Amino acid sequence: MDTFLQVTAYGLLQGGLLALVAVGFSLVWGIMNIVNLSHGAFVILGAYIAWEIQGWLGLDPFLGMFISAAVLFCVGYIFQRFLINLIVNGPVFITLLLTFGINMILIQGMNLFFTADFRSIQTSYGSNSFEVGNIRIPLVRLLAFLLAIVITFALVAFVKHTRTGISIMATGMDRGAARLMGIRARHVYALTFGISAALAGMAGTMIATIETFDPSKAGKFTLMAFVVAVLGGLGNMYGALVGGLLMGLVQGWAGQYLSGTWVNAIAFLVLIIVLVFRPNGLVGKAFYAARVEI
Amino acid sequence: MKKTPRTSAAIIAASCLAVFGINAIPAASAADVVTITLGASVPLTGSLAKEGLLTKEGYQFCQEKVNALSTATIGGKQKKIEIVFQDDTSKPDLAAQNLSKFNDKGIKLILSSYGSANVNAQAAVVELNKQTMVDSGGADDAIFNKGYTRTFNVMSPASEYATSMVRAIAEMAKPKPVTMAFLSADDGFSKTVTAGGMKAATALGFTVIGPQYFPNATSDVSAALNKIKADKPDVILGSVHFVEGVAMIKQAKELGITPKSFAETVAPPILDFASTLGPLAENVLGSSQWSSTVKGQEKYFGKASNYASEFLARFGHEATYHNAEASAACLAMVLAIEKTKSADAEKIKTALAALDVQSFFGRIKFDSTGQNTFKPMVVIQIQKGKIITVWPRSIAQAKMIWPYVK
Repeated sequence: MDTFLQVTAYGLLQGGLLALVAVGFSLVWGIMNIVNLSHGAFVILGAYIAWEIQGWLGLDPFLGMFISAAVLFCVGYIFQRFLINLIVNGPVFITLLLTFGINMILIQGMNLFFTADFRSIQTSYGSNSFEVGNIRIPLVRLLAFLLAIVITFALVAFVKHTRTGISIMATGMDRGAARLMGIRARHVYALTFGISAALAGMAGTMIATIETFDPSKAGKFTLMAFVVAVLGGLGNMYGALVGGLLMGLVQGWAGQYLSGTWVNAIAFLVLIIVLVFRPNGLVGKAFYAARVEI
Repeated sequence: MKKTPRTSAAIIAASCLAVFGINAIPAASAADVVTITLGASVPLTGSLAKEGLLTKEGYQFCQEKVNALSTATIGGKQKKIEIVFQDDTSKPDLAAQNLSKFNDKGIKLILSSYGSANVNAQAAVVELNKQTMVDSGGADDAIFNKGYTRTFNVMSPASEYATSMVRAIAEMAKPKPVTMAFLSADDGFSKTVTAGGMKAATALGFTVIGPQYFPNATSDVSAALNKIKADKPDVILGSVHFVEGVAMIKQAKELGITPKSFAETVAPPILDFASTLGPLAENVLGSSQWSSTVKGQEKYFGKASNYASEFLARFGHEATYHNAEASAACLAMVLAIEKTKSADAEKIKTALAALDVQSFFGRIKFDSTGQNTFKPMVVIQIQKGKIITVWPRSIAQAKMIWPYVK
C-alpha cells in the first residue's frame, strides 16, 4: 500500500510539472487557434535564462523565474506582434510551419550560444525531500506542483476579472465582434502569446532546478504540452492542470505495475481512450470549435 | 633583330615563365601531396549533440596531428588526410543517408557517427556501398553479430561496460556487497550492457535484483527505483545515458534510497556529470573506454598522458573518453592507409582486420566480428569533483572509496 501511495504522490507531482509546461501552450491554442510548435524551445530558453541569472547574480531559481518570465514575455510579445500576426488569419498549416521554423531557429541559436552541454540549476535543497507517514515528498517537485496550481487559478482569475483578461477571452471567442467593441486584436494576441511565453519561462526554470536540460529537449516539451493540452481539453483554463495530473498519474502507475518500456505506450493509449469518449478532452468546451474567425 | 618563328616561341615561353613561373613553385609543391578524404557523419544537433561534438573534436585532433607529423608517402607523394563532416541530427536514418551521399562523391573511407542506433544503421549501408568504416561511437554487440565485414570498432564491446564495474567492485570493495540491482534504459545498447553485467554479477556470487527498465532518454526513473526500494540493494548499477544517469542519482535521494554505491555506464565520465550533480556526484562509479593513465603509445599521440595534455591545450577542456575513442578510430584508419599505401577501401579493410597496435587508447586489434575485444574497460570514480581512475589496479590513480552513501 505504501508503494502505491508513493507512486501516486510522485505521479501527481510529476503531473504538476507537466501541467506547468502545458498551461501556456494550451492558452495560445485555445485563444488563437495556434499550435505553437516552438513552445518547448521557449521552455528551454527560460531554463537557460534562469541558469544564467543564477550564475551571474547567484539568484535562487524561485526568484530568478520571474526575471526569466519577464524576458520571455517580451520575446513572445515581439514574436507574435511582428511575425505570427502576419499569418494569423492564414490556414493552420501555415502557422504550424512558421512556429516550426521559429523552433528550429531558437534551438540552433541556443546550440550555438549555450553549446549542447548538459545544464542544471544547483541549489542546496534541490534533491531534498520530507516524509509524510511512509511517503517521501520531494521538496522542489512539490513547489513546482503548487506553482502549477497557483498559476492556473491566477490565470482563471485574470481572464474572468480583469479588462485585459476579458478582452483576451472575447477575442478568442469572436475576433470580429471583439474588434467592433474596440478591442485591438493584434495587441491582445501579442499579449496572449507573451503570457504563454512567460509561463514557459517559469516552467523552464522549474525544469532546470529538477532535472537536466539542453537545446535538444525542446521537442520533448512541445510534444508533452501538446498531449496534455489535448487530454485536458481546450477552452478551459483548468484543462492543462487536469490533463497534466492525469498524465503524471498514468505514467507513474504504468511504470510501477508494467515494464518501464510500456510507460509511453500506456500514456498515449489513455489519450486515445479519452478522446474516443470525450473528443473535446476531459474538461474542454465545444464552443471553441465553432467560434467565428474573421 | 629579325624575328623568326623560333625566336617568337622563345619569347612567348619566357613571358609565360615570367608570369606563371612564381606560382608554379607552390603548385609543384601541392602536386607532391596526396589528400585522402574521410567521411564522418556525426550528430551535431539533436539529442546526441553533446557526444557528437566530442566525437568531432576527436576526429579533428587526429587530422591535425597526422597532417602535422606524418612522413608517410603514397605513390611518392606526401600523405594528408581531410575529414569531411556532415550533421546527422542524431537520427539513424540520416546517419545512414549521409554515408550514401559520401559514396556518391567517391568517399569510401568512413569514420562512424556516435550512438549504437546510428552506427547500426550506418554499418548496413557501409556493407552495401562497399565502403570501410572505423567505429568510435557504437559499441552494441548486436551491430557485430550480423556478419558485416566492413565495420571495425575500436571500443570495448557493450557487454563489457557493466561487467568491468562488477569486477572492480568484486575485487576492491571491502566489505564486499551482497546484492546488486540492475536498472536499465530500454534501448538495445543499454540492454546488452545490462545482460553482460548481470551475467558477470551472478558468476561472481552477487545476488542480482532486476533488471528494471525505463524508457530511453527519460528524466523520470522513479518507477524503477520504487520497484527495488524494498530490496535495499547494496549496489545500484544503472545502464544509462547522461540524462537517465543524473535522474537516477537525484531521484534516489528524493525517494530516500541509499545503497552503498551507485555505479553507472556512460554518464559519470562526461565532465557535465560532476558539474550538474555537484556533491551528489561524489564517489559515483562509472565505466569508461579510456583514461589518461591507459598504457601504450604510438607515433602520433604518444602516451595517453600526452594525448590528455595536448588535447587540453588545443580545445580548452579535458579530454573525455568520447574524444579519445574518436581519435583512436581515426588513428586506426590512418595506420591502415599507411600500411597499404593506398586509399582503396578493399585493401584498407584487409589491413584493419590485421591491425594490432598498442596506442594511447590501449590495444587496438579487431576480432573476426570487427570488435576490439582485446582492450579492457576502465572504471572511474568521481572523487572531489574529479574523474579518477580506480580500476584496473595497474593504472589506478587512487583507491576506490567504499562504501560512501551515508
